[in-house]
Amino acid sequence: MTRLGLPGGLRDGLVASLALVPSVFVYGSVFGGLAVQAGLTPAQVLGMSVLVFAGASQFVAVPMIAAGAPALAIVVTTYVVNMRHYLMAATLAPSFRGFRRLWLALIAHLINDESFAVAVARSRPPDAWVYLGSAAAISGAFVGGVAVGTALGGLVERPERYGLDFAFPAVFLALVAVQLRRRADWLVAIGAAVLAVALALVLPGNWHIVVAGLTVSALGARVLPVEDAPAPAEPHAYPQGGHE
Amino acid sequence: MSRVWLVIGGMAVATYLTRAPMFLALARRPLPPRVRLWLRLVPLAVLPALAVPLVLVRDGRLALGLAHPPLWGAAVVFVLAARGVNLLASVAVAVAVVALLRALG
Repeated sequence: MTRLGLPGGLRDGLVASLALVPSVFVYGSVFGGLAVQAGLTPAQVLGMSVLVFAGASQFVAVPMIAAGAPALAIVVTTYVVNMRHYLMAATLAPSFRGFRRLWLALIAHLINDESFAVAVARSRPPDAWVYLGSAAAISGAFVGGVAVGTALGGLVERPERYGLDFAFPAVFLALVAVQLRRRADWLVAIGAAVLAVALALVLPGNWHIVVAGLTVSALGARVLPVEDAPAPAEPHAYPQGGHE
Repeated sequence: MSRVWLVIGGMAVATYLTRAPMFLALARRPLPPRVRLWLRLVPLAVLPALAVPLVLVRDGRLALGLAHPPLWGAAVVFVLAARGVNLLASVAVAVAVVALLRALG
């Protein structure tokens, strides 16, 4: 325990996350601005950021909402984009034995890429308090950024003039680029891109994302050698490109 | 209750279902290798499936011309991020490239 009465790990997690705070804050503000531009109300943008709290999937959902995509397609896409949480939750869970179920249910909601990376990079198995300190910093930065972006977003009248519409595909492409390590990764990414473009030309709405994403990843998991699976306890084996 | 709030509620439930079950079960055993492999591949498939049509498909048609600014922006952000340039900086440069090309075009 420190003088402040905080478990030492909590402070460590907060401090270790400070380097990520500006970037998460700016991402949040970009999201807030773009979501308002896309026609969501400030309450909806903030509500989504608190209730969903998963940046990548929110960036995905907003253009779909703006385009009037079917609700089911948006929800399924959100689920598919966020399925990586299963992997992080499974890795973090054993560190939280002894916590009450109600707390676990609340802490689970805070699972995010950055805090996962901070916690597993610091110790193995990850420390529950380091993780919580990081989650506090990251969630605060994200929601704070969204609030600022929501307030300022209305200032930009035609975002496409400044290329801001391109921020969506740019973020996704950057996240893909940092995750491509093996030849199989490239095959999956290119296969999904080609299939998605082909489907987007014929399918209504945004179903091409779910169909291409699920088909190609499932196909890859079936045919690729199982040695390509990340080791269960090797933190650096997880894709760390995701940014909330 | 507007349609958007309904979508947000659905997104919240769907996302919570990706976080809580495994966490609450306090999984003692690792996932089977095939499932871990699949979960590793999902973002690699979903992100391009999402991004590439946004760049290449406009109004239900393929947009492949060199005069199409997003094509250049996509190349820039991909190369920068792959070379380890900060994610935010990569995206900012690509957005600037697209804005510049649109201003010129």
